[in-house]
Formats: sequence, structure tokens, C-alpha cells
Amino acid sequence: MKRIITLLLALAMILSLVACGTAAKGSDDLKVGVILVGDENVGYDSAHIAGIKTAAAAVGIADDQIIWKYNIEEDESCYDTATDLVEQGCTYIISDSYGHQSYMQQAASENPDVTFISMTGDAAALSGLANFKNAFNYTYESRYVSGVVAGMKLAEMVANGEVPATSIDADGNIKIGYVGAYPYAEVVSGYTGFYLGVKSIVPNVAMTVTYTNSWYDPTAEAEAANSLISQGCVITSQHADSTGAPSACEAALEAGTPIYCVGYNIDMLSVAPKAALTSAQNNWSVYYTYALGCAVKGEEIKTDWAAGYAEGAVQISALGESCAAGTAEKVDEVIAAIKDGSLKIFDTANYTVGGAPVTTYLAIDTDGDWVGDTGEAIVNGVFEESVLRSAPYFGIRIDGITELQ
Amino acid sequence: MNVSETAIQMRDITKTFGSVVANDKVCLDIRRGEILSLLGENGSGKTTLMNILSGIYFPDEGEILVDGKEVKIRSPKHAYDLGIGMVHQHFKLVDVLTAAENIVLGLPGKGRLDMKAVGKRVLDISSQYGFEVDPEKKIYNMSVSQKQTVEIVKVLYRGADILILDEPTAVLTPQEADKLFAVLRNMRDDGKAIVIITHKLHEVEEISDRVAVMRRGQYVGGMMTAETNAREMTNMMVGRQVSLNIERHEPKNAETRLVIENLSVIDVDGVKKLDDVSFDARSGEVLGIAGISGCGQKELLEAIAGLQKVESGSIAYIHPDTKKAEELIGKNPKEITEMGVALSFVPEDRLGMGLVGNMDLADNMMLRSFRQGKSAFTDRKSPRNLAEQVVSDLEVVTPGVSTPVRKLSGGNVQKVLVGREISSVPRVLMTAYAVRGLDINSSYTIYDLINQQKEKGVAVIFVGEDLDVLLELCDRILVLCGGKVSGVVDARKINKHEVGMMMTRLGGGEVKQ
Amino acid sequence: MSHIQTEPFVRITKRQDIKTAKAWLIRLISVVLALAVCGVVIYAMVKLNPIKVYAAMWKGAVGTPKRMLVTARDTVMLLCIGIGLAPAFKMRFWNIGAEGQILVGGIATAACMIYFGKTLPSWMLFAAMFVASMLAGALWSVVPAFFKARFKTNETLFTLMMNYVAIQLTSFFVAKWENPFGSNTVGIINQMTQAGWLPSLFGTQYMVNIILVLLLTVGMYVYLKYSKHGYEIAVVGESERTAKYVGINVQKVVVRTMSLSGAICGLAGFIAVAGSSHTISTSTAGGRGFTAIIVAWLAKFNTFVMILVSVLLVFLEKGAIQIASQFDLNDYASQMITGIILFFILGSEFFINYRLIFRHRKGGEAA
Repeated sequence: MKRIITLLLALAMILSLVACGTAAKGSDDLKVGVILVGDENVGYDSAHIAGIKTAAAAVGIADDQIIWKYNIEEDESCYDTATDLVEQGCTYIISDSYGHQSYMQQAASENPDVTFISMTGDAAALSGLANFKNAFNYTYESRYVSGVVAGMKLAEMVANGEVPATSIDADGNIKIGYVGAYPYAEVVSGYTGFYLGVKSIVPNVAMTVTYTNSWYDPTAEAEAANSLISQGCVITSQHADSTGAPSACEAALEAGTPIYCVGYNIDMLSVAPKAALTSAQNNWSVYYTYALGCAVKGEEIKTDWAAGYAEGAVQISALGESCAAGTAEKVDEVIAAIKDGSLKIFDTANYTVGGAPVTTYLAIDTDGDWVGDTGEAIVNGVFEESVLRSAPYFGIRIDGITELQ
Repeated sequence: MNVSETAIQMRDITKTFGSVVANDKVCLDIRRGEILSLLGENGSGKTTLMNILSGIYFPDEGEILVDGKEVKIRSPKHAYDLGIGMVHQHFKLVDVLTAAENIVLGLPGKGRLDMKAVGKRVLDISSQYGFEVDPEKKIYNMSVSQKQTVEIVKVLYRGADILILDEPTAVLTPQEADKLFAVLRNMRDDGKAIVIITHKLHEVEEISDRVAVMRRGQYVGGMMTAETNAREMTNMMVGRQVSLNIERHEPKNAETRLVIENLSVIDVDGVKKLDDVSFDARSGEVLGIAGISGCGQKELLEAIAGLQKVESGSIAYIHPDTKKAEELIGKNPKEITEMGVALSFVPEDRLGMGLVGNMDLADNMMLRSFRQGKSAFTDRKSPRNLAEQVVSDLEVVTPGVSTPVRKLSGGNVQKVLVGREISSVPRVLMTAYAVRGLDINSSYTIYDLINQQKEKGVAVIFVGEDLDVLLELCDRILVLCGGKVSGVVDARKINKHEVGMMMTRLGGGEVKQ
Repeated sequence: MSHIQTEPFVRITKRQDIKTAKAWLIRLISVVLALAVCGVVIYAMVKLNPIKVYAAMWKGAVGTPKRMLVTARDTVMLLCIGIGLAPAFKMRFWNIGAEGQILVGGIATAACMIYFGKTLPSWMLFAAMFVASMLAGALWSVVPAFFKARFKTNETLFTLMMNYVAIQLTSFFVAKWENPFGSNTVGIINQMTQAGWLPSLFGTQYMVNIILVLLLTVGMYVYLKYSKHGYEIAVVGESERTAKYVGINVQKVVVRTMSLSGAICGLAGFIAVAGSSHTISTSTAGGRGFTAIIVAWLAKFNTFVMILVSVLLVFLEKGAIQIASQFDLNDYASQMITGIILFFILGSEFFINYRLIFRHRKGGEAA
């Protein structure tokens, strides 16, 4: 038996040496590895896949120069996969999920010749590693715009008297809801953007946020939506990746409860043709075109990269049939204002904390206690999101929003 | 008297299990209106042959003719269709169902089951042959003999007219056996063909019309029972001359070794298994314990060995040198063994207690001694030597001491068990059912071993099932009845019937009057 | 009468004995057959050349030094759990709770890394992690063992339930130690200092894991086969009545053996956290506590055979991942291949224990 094992090991060695011998370098031989937390069936991942494919076509990277790794958990298998991709000759490795970041960082520290891009990550600048990059979109912009769409609908409902009395709280605010994944800055930034969008149209709204503690859990998201509906919410949005919540809303709407929803990443009209208004979306191809372009040209990629409507990196999906009249015009107007800088979403004039305006916020944590200790985010009365680093850091819980834990 | 017509002819039946030839070109005729005894030692292939007939095994070679027509019996159901039914040694009944429910279980039926009609037919069958069976009674409320009756009725209900019974008397009292025999005779007179697998010669003589003898998988001959005798049958079975006498010497220097006083044991279900039992066991003497199965024998031995929680009473061990009495209750099995009280208990499945089937002989020898020495590792050498010694002393038939015990035949398993217990040089040796299921030759080897221990001054307690043997082997017999002492009698001065009466009624009823 | 006059087409009989060489031949044939059947299935479903697919599996499992290392790392992890389960199953104690025992071992390890990572010197930190993981695992298995020994509770259900408790406990600690705040993952523990990370040995990562588990393999083999404890475990497993009869304290043996079993499973948690993932999550055990049951039983508790079984299972898993990536199949296709191969291997045990006898030609003529 021992002999057989020895034989097998020897054989494995020989084969592996053959495999290693083929790894060569060159600009045409550029190899890109992609680590995905899910696969094309998950909205979040399919958005990244589409972005990378578009970008690759744009900069001239062939299909066989990209190695895809699907369903990689946010644990050491990410590290294993990353080092495995290095061995296969990849010089650029992209991971799409936040949870991959620490493993990507570990791989980056061990492979200085390979560039690691941890999408939506926040540690690149602090890590001090030259080959470790982060990127994010100004998602809060598209969320704000989707909030405007929802606000228009809400205004129409108020005008038509469709908002039931149970949906108005003691302070006279109309209840809306939000299904979040995890309670941290990326999500907080997103839901605050959405809330401010709604509020810009209908001032008397109060939002309840509930968490599923998962990026992708159709059942939990549907349950969360149902719970929000039963609490009287008439509009919901989400920062989670499945169609669970819109499906639940569609079912409730069919059953006669007035409820409309705004999705994320995926166009929800296929599962909720009546209830879905629109979805906030990312167009990752903008970043990937930039990053892969740098790769092809051999240029250094920015450690932190972030962009929004101005560059076309964020968008909302096609408006649903239930949208209020005049929505499209309003949306165009808001987008134009964002683009030309006349609309500052996180302008401190738009929100309060404990009834008082916010004047200072330290965005960056360097000592590991999860409380910012450097980097003033508020400049001239405006909270500048994703400027100090690409990943969102708007962690302020503003008045009018209640988080359920 | 009866016109015997041939029901079944088995021709050149061969069946092998791996390298073991269980049946080797066996030819056998079974006739209607006749009781045939199929006689043979353990492992001679009797049960295999009958299992082939009842569709459990399929022969490798040979043919079977039922009423002159060749058949291939593919399954037990097929056997039933042919009128062949077998009553196995281990009953296959569902405890929580009634007799009638068990009897119809598995039979095809249409729509509603008419239990009344079933009950009536069961009673019809019973009265026809002289059974006593209550169709409404649940199995768990039944005695062993009643359960057996249900099994037989079950076979008859399915229309069997060829009946095979595998060691039917092994679990019965003499009185119950007599009843069974009466029933069998009625069935024979009704024209049914009956086969009894057995190795008890006196039963063969009592019940059967014809004997067929098997030895080592082969059919060695057959004759009418009336024309033969026990000696001839034994010689055919064993293949050589065998002495059928148990030597019994008068006890020498008998000293009291164990004194049991007012012992009571209650089992987990709250049933009183032993009720105020008092007796003593003496050195150089074999004390037999008789009783129908389950009347407290097991609990008594286990209580002495420290395996059974005792409710009240005392068990005192009198040390042979100091003559001091020492209480055994409260000591653990290990301590009791170390004091020289050995228990070799052969349970129904032989291997359930005392031996580990999947371990080899040498490892089984270690069971008692493996703790010896301070090392964390087991000593492999001395158990191996002991195993080799037991194999040679007791003539254990085994390929070697590295063979798993479960591969040994029943007699050899028992020799290994008894051999190990004796090797510890006990002062008190308790054996229960030491010859259960053993053939004649092996049984006599065990009796010899017990007598040797008696000669050495060991106090032997022998729990047995066969009253003939108890009467021949023991010096005194303690008769238990329902957990109570029915009497302690001198084995030399009592007969089988009197003991049988004491087993079923305290004090023996008739004897006293 | 309409009785069928032919003998059955095929009959099944139990084999008395089978030579080791023959048994291995049957196993080998089953693997070859499995590959052939998989080949047909692969071709029928996705029109791929099966040879290429197998080559991809090989490449995926051992194609590069790194992959070989990862395969070895995952193999010893599975092996370690199998070794932990062996004494329990040999005692016929159905320890379905390895999953939970690994998790609590991992929690204990992670706790030491987080709380003492900055204060204790390296060797003391490792000692603390090592001991804490074993204690935690043992505690997790002793609870059901105690109830089994004392109150005859069903250990299968009990150990299974303990898994769920452990999973919840893990969720609790993940929430407590989450990094960054709100992400609900612990992330890599001590990423900067690498405190409590098992170091590379001979310039190779995971070497400590491998050596540790190989030592356990030898140790457990000797323990089960030659020690008095091992003998007691065998006796209790084969027949509890016999064990009582010869004066073995069954309750004590059950509790002692289960502590050992749990401790080794806890140690597997240590190896997982300190030796490879450097994090803790509910997927730290990743179902390996259940897979290891197959390892233990298939190897009949022989720890050396367990090496083979673990290699095979991990090889299949890694191969499946590679197929999925290389041919753009989803995971299900490759898992089917794994399933077919396992089915044949488990099925071969049937042919090792039983023999099929087909109808005689002579019988056919007679009919």
C-alpha cells in the first residue's frame, strides 16, 4: 500500500511539473482570474460577470484569458483559489465580494508581482500593499434616484388616498421599509441615500430597516419584506441580492395590500411586474474597463477608485408600469443635478441626528476599533462619500430611520 | 398402521457456503402420515437441508420432487404454496399483536379483514388437533409453549400439510413436550407429513416413526425407530462408539462454599424475579438448578456474579482456607471474579455474553485477564498461550487461535467459554445452559469438564434445561418456580416427573399429597 | 399448478471469507466501472470528452504544487476527524456530533488567538490553543456520553442536536468578534501579527497540520489495536453485556472514549483555525464532520486505510471544482460525477460481502 501511495505522489509530481512549465508571461498572455461569491444565477455576481465581459471585449482580452471561479466562500477557500490562480499564471485577480477581502489581502502580501483587486473592499490603502486595490461605485447616487422614483409613487398614493391609516405612524409619517443585508457602512450609506431620495419628494416618511445577515437569502429576504408589509410599510427597498423581497411584495399587492418596491442590481419586473418600480444598479464595466485597460497597457491601477452617474457607473433599471406619471422627467432632472454637482445627496442640511445637524465625522479607522479616528468626511457642510477611499463610510444613523436588529 | 405415501423426495441436494459444504448430495424422502426425526450433531446440515425445503436457501445442485413432480422452491411463500411450512427455533411473532393477528399477518387478503372468521378458523384448527390457543391473546402475555403453538397454527392456517419443526422441545418443560407430541401424533394420523429436527435421542424414540441421520453434511442412513436404539443412533450420528454414561461420584469433603439467604431481586419493570430464595452450594458437589425458562435462573446467577442489583437478602462466600464468610452483595463483578467465583453463562444466542464473536480465540481469552499488569498496552502472548492450551485440552475444532469465535460451531464456542472460566481456577463455577444446542459428543465433553471441576473440590452450580441430564449429572437439584424455591432435592432419589411437577407448582403438588 | 419450474435467475449468497487481494480487486474494478459510467454520463449530458474531464480532475486535485498542498491539507483535516470518530464508532457510539465538536474546538482556538494573541509568547499561545480546543471538543462530546451512560439517552439524536447548539454558539461568537463591525464575519484573525498561526515547516505551508495528523494516525492505530483501552472499546462495541460480564465499567469506558473522540475532533477545529483558515465561521466544519463518518466506516476504523479514503474523497471534491471551472459547468454536474464514483465504491462492499449466483445453464435446458 505504501508503494502505491509513493507511486501516486511521484506521478502527481511529474504531472504538476509539466503543468508548471507552461506558465509564461507576455502582454498577449495576460491572464485574469475572477473569484465570485456566487454564480450567474445571483444578481450581484451576474452584474460583475457582465461588467468584466463587457470590459474584456472593450480592451481586447480574449475569453480564454479569463479564468472564472464560481461560488467561492468567504473563507480560506478564497485564499486557496487566489493562490491557485497565481499558479495558473494570472497576474490580475479580481474578487467581487467584501468578505473575500482579508483573504485577498493575505494572498496579495505573499504574491507581490500579482495585482489583487478586492471589489467593494476598504482595506487597500491602509494595508500599504502596492499590489492590493479597492473599487466601488457611488451606489448611493443610484439609490437616491431610485428613492426619488419611490417618492413620486408615494406622492401619487397620498394624492389618491391609497395610503391606509395603519401606514401612518403617531408622528404623521408614512411608513416605508428597507431589507438590508448587514448593518455596516456600505448598507447604511445605501439606505440613507434611498431614504433621502424618497424624502426629497414626500417629506413626512419614516423608514424601518431590517437585516437578513446574508447577502443572498431569498427566504429570509421574503420573510423580512412580509414583516415590513405587516407593519404597514407601503414602499420597500433592499440591499440584498435576491428577488425574495419583490416576489413577496408582488404577492401582497395581488392580495390587495398597497405595497411597491425598489430592487437592487437585478431588474425586478420579471418577478414583480406590478409591485416593482425600478432597481438601483451598478454598471461595473466602467471600472473593469479602466482596470483591465491599465492591465493591458501595463499601467498602475489606482488603489481606490470610485465613480457615479458622471462616469456612467451607476444607473437605475427601466421604470415599471406602476410608476407615477412624470417620474421619468423627474428622474432625468435629478440625474442632471447630480451630474452637474448642484445636488449634493449627503448635504448635512438634508438630515439631522437627534434633531441636530451633523458637523463632523471621522471616516477612517486605523486602530481596529471600528470607530473612525482620522479623515474628516464633512467638508463645507457636505458629507463627501467615497472620496477618502472607495468603499462607503457613511455610517451615520439619521433621524427618521429605525434599524431593527 | 398408516399407509405412507411419499410427499417429498430430495435428490442429491448440495449446498455450500463459501468453502463449507453444508449439504453434500443428500437424498431424503418425507412421507405422509409419518413423523420423521432428522437426527444429527450440530453443523451436520439438518437445518440447512430443511431451510432448503422451506425456501430460505436455494440448493446449488440437486432436485426436489413434491408429490412426484420436480419443483424449484424459490421462496418461503412458494414453499407454502407447495404445502411446506417450517416452525423455526426462534419464533417469528410480533409481540404486541394477538395470536390471530400474527397468524394472518402477511397473508394476502381482499378489502376488510374479518378477524372473527380468522379466530373461528384458528379455533377449528386447534380443536382438530388438540391445541389450546386463545386467538385474542396478545403474544407478550403468552408462555413459550403457547407461542410455539401459535407458530404451528400459523403454518397450518396457511394450508401446510408438510410440517418441519426445528428443535421444538428445546424450550419446553417435559409436560409441555408431552402435549406437543400428542398434537403431532394427531396431525400424523390426519395424514400430514412431519419432520422434527432434534438431537435428543429419547424424544426420537418417543415420537418418531422413522429416523434419518446426518453427519457432516451427508445423509448416513435411515431406519424405522422401532428397529433401532439409542446406542445405534448415536454411533451413526457421531461416526464412532460413544459412551452415554455420565460418571457421577459421591461428593467428597463437601464444605459449604456459598450461602444464599432470603435473596430477592426485582427487575427494571418492577417484576419480582427472585422471591426469598435461600440455599447453599458446597464444594465438590454439583448443584443443579431446574425450572422452566425465565423463572429466575438467570437473575440468580447474575446476582451471585455481581451483575444484578439485589433487592434484599445476602450472598455469603465462605473462604476455603479461613472459613470466614464474606458478603458478595455490594462488590463489583471484577472483585467477585477475583475472589474465585466464576460464571460461565451461555445465553440463547451463545455469543451475547461471555464471548465476543468478532474477536479471535486469543482475544477472547483476554477478556478476564487483560487488566493484569501496569502497562497501558495489552499482553498478547499469555492469552495466546492459554488459547492454544484450551484448544488442545478441550479438543476445540478451529483453524487456529486467530479465528473469530463466531466462526466456530456452537459446541466449540462453549468449550472456549467454559475452558476460559476453568482456567482461572475458580472456587465456585456457575454454568448456565452449558450444553444448550450442543450435540451429544460435545455435551459429554462439557459434562466431563464439570465433573473434573467437582473432583477438584469446586462448588459447581449447573443451570440446565434437560431434566434427564440434571438427574444424571447433579448431586442435588434446586427447583425454582416463578422466582421461588420450590424445593431442593437429592438428584439420586427423585424422578423426572416429580421435578417437572415442582417446576410448575411450588413444592410439587402431587408429590406431597 | 402454476408454480414456476425454473430456478431464480440470480441469487445472492453471503460470502464466508474473501481474500484481501480479491477484495481489493473488486474495489479496483468498481472504480474503473464508475469511471466508465461517468464517462458515458458526461458524454451524454454535456458532450465532453471524458478523458479530458478526468485529466481536468487530476489537474484540479494535484496539478500544481499548491493544489497538491491544498489537497493534502484538506485530506488531513478530514482524516483527523475520521480518527476522532474511529474510537466512538468502534464502541458503536453513534457520534454524529463531530461537526459541533470541530466548531467548539475552533471557537476555543480562535478565542485564544483573539484574546491572548498579543500578550502570550508564541509557544504558550500554541499550548493554550491546543489544550483549549481539545477541552472544548471533549466537553461537547462528554455531555451526550454522560447522558447515554447514565440515562441511556439516544446518542445519535443527542450528538446531532449538539451540532445545532454549536452552530448557534459559533454564530454568537462570530457576531461578537466580527471584523469589520457589522460584516458578520470574523475575517482573518491576527492578519498582521500572524500570532497563533501554525508556521510553515521545511518551507512548506500546512506541514505542521500534516505531521500532526499523521502522528495521530499512528497513535490511534496503536491505541485501538494494542492498548487496554482499545481492547475495552472493542469489547463494549461488540457486546455491552459481555463487557459488563467481565467487569468492564461500561459507563466509564463510554465517557472516556467519547472525551477522546471529542478532543480529537476539537483538535481538528484547532487545525482548521490555526493551521489553515485563521478565521472561524459556521462553515469552519463545512460538513466534514459528516463526511468523516464515511471515512471511519469505509476504513473499518483502520486509521491507515482512512488515509486512502480521505485522499479519495478530497481528490474527488477538488476534481469536481476544477471541472466546474474549466468546462464552465455548474457544481451540480461535477457533484454528480462524485456521487456516481462514491456509489460504486460503496456498492463494491456489497460484492465483497455477497456473491451473485446466476442460473445454471443446465437448469435452463431442463426448463
